[in-house]
Amino acid sequence: MLRIAQLSAGYSGVPVLHDVSIEVEEGRFVAIVGPNGAGKTTLFKTISGTVAPMAGAITFGGVDLLAVPAHRRPHLGIAHVPEGRQVFPSLTVMENLEMGAYTEAGRIAWAETLERILEWFPVLGERRGQPAGTLSGGEQQMVAIGRGLASAPKLLMLDEPSMGLAPAIADFIFERLIEIRRQSRLTILLVEQRVAEALESADHSYVLEAGRVVLEGDNQELRADDRVRQAYLGM
Amino acid sequence: MAVVTGLIMLENILQSLAAGLLIGAIYGLMCVGLALIFGVMRVINFAQGDFMMLGMYAAYYAFALFGVQALFGSTIGPYVAALLAAPLLFAVGYGVHWALVSRVTGTRTAGLDGDGHYAQLILTLGTALILQNGAMIVFGSYPVSVQTPLSVSAWEVGPLWDDYVSVFVNKARGIAALVSVATILLLARLIASSRLGKALRASADNPEAATYMGIDVQRSHRVAFALGTAITAVAGALLATNYPFHPYVGLEYVIVMYAGVVMGGMGSILGAFWGGMTIGVVQQMSTLILPTQLQNTAIFVIFLLIVFLRPQGFFGRVVERT
Repeated sequence: MLRIAQLSAGYSGVPVLHDVSIEVEEGRFVAIVGPNGAGKTTLFKTISGTVAPMAGAITFGGVDLLAVPAHRRPHLGIAHVPEGRQVFPSLTVMENLEMGAYTEAGRIAWAETLERILEWFPVLGERRGQPAGTLSGGEQQMVAIGRGLASAPKLLMLDEPSMGLAPAIADFIFERLIEIRRQSRLTILLVEQRVAEALESADHSYVLEAGRVVLEGDNQELRADDRVRQAYLGM
Repeated sequence: MAVVTGLIMLENILQSLAAGLLIGAIYGLMCVGLALIFGVMRVINFAQGDFMMLGMYAAYYAFALFGVQALFGSTIGPYVAALLAAPLLFAVGYGVHWALVSRVTGTRTAGLDGDGHYAQLILTLGTALILQNGAMIVFGSYPVSVQTPLSVSAWEVGPLWDDYVSVFVNKARGIAALVSVATILLLARLIASSRLGKALRASADNPEAATYMGIDVQRSHRVAFALGTAITAVAGALLATNYPFHPYVGLEYVIVMYAGVVMGGMGSILGAFWGGMTIGVVQQMSTLILPTQLQNTAIFVIFLLIVFLRPQGFFGRVVERT
């Protein structure tokens, strides 16, 4: 579904990603893990089009994504839940979700998706009329994920959904993601620093370090890998 | 006798208040146009007063030369002309954004000095100068106005107290104020509940996240710029029935607009309206105790007071920008 080949990207001519190749097949849950500054967010922004690539190719469902302007990419079925939540602070919770449904697919499915989003995150229903900027970090993360789901995407990209959240809230968000995935069979691409949780919930993972893919494999393979156990799982 | 003096004073106060509310409604509309552009794009547009001037001339020529007067008469004609200025100046704003402003704003500013703010200031200032001097060449320096019999007739409200205390409402200004308020209500509704309005607000709140929603932020900016231009132009055209104007008229009003927008809370549409309204009322009321030449002084004293006591403006956002 999503195929990234030999991608290099960065800012003002300084590359952050080097020769990255990643593949996400339909229906899979793929995680990209790695330390701070490994280029995970840059990778997501390149997929979404807010960072321009220097070399390489990205295709989505056979479409050359790099030829599509950033604001058209969501209409192809890519939902990007950005790092740090980035809700629309002055818009109400409901308006934030409506903005998620800006795509045609999202508009058509709106009534049904809204119902499911409120089932997964009931607190959003209670807060529907409140400006999103006044919510707690965890609630804002729920808005951000709900907003992504509201576009009725084919691929949901989540950039560190646990960032800056209390452990209990982060656990809740993870538990919800697994539930959402179980119910919707959505294709998910997750970037995460909480490596243990990410490896546990994903089918397939990539380890990104200093802008390069240093390791990839299925769930069990990676968790059995000595380097991963030492560096990330503290075993 | 003392009662009569008191009543005359009351009449003067009410008369000034009425005049202030009427002119304030139009100032408010002017400010809303500027606030829309600033609120969505964070661009300080120095050419806003000159877009207003263009709106005045657009209404003037539509009325006098292009048949609006012949078709609708001198009574309704000026207002039809004012509304005709809207699509015309929308197109002008759209074009100016497309050709010039978009080069130094939005996503293209990455890597520019000061995120493009310096370039924006110089660009809009330059646009203002070109519009002023261009208008001088094309329209000439002789002041003109949109002639309507309504500007020399009035409704009398009262007498409210026996034979005393009557307030006269100039018909042309009265209708202009009503059209102005109606325009603002329409715009407020558009911004609050239409898909376009929500997309504009989302683009203003967080352009990057808006892009992730599939919103074309550059287009949002273009629409906001054009809409803001059109709104201010309508305000100018409404003013044109009572005030003779000339190519440099924008300079007089751009100050009023900025004061109004800052008073209302930068970026708040409703706040900008109340800011403009405050300026109108202060300006007219000040003539009761100050010589007319000092009315702008009164405006700025109030302006400084408000900025001092409530720096975020009447309707400043309390919501934290993430």
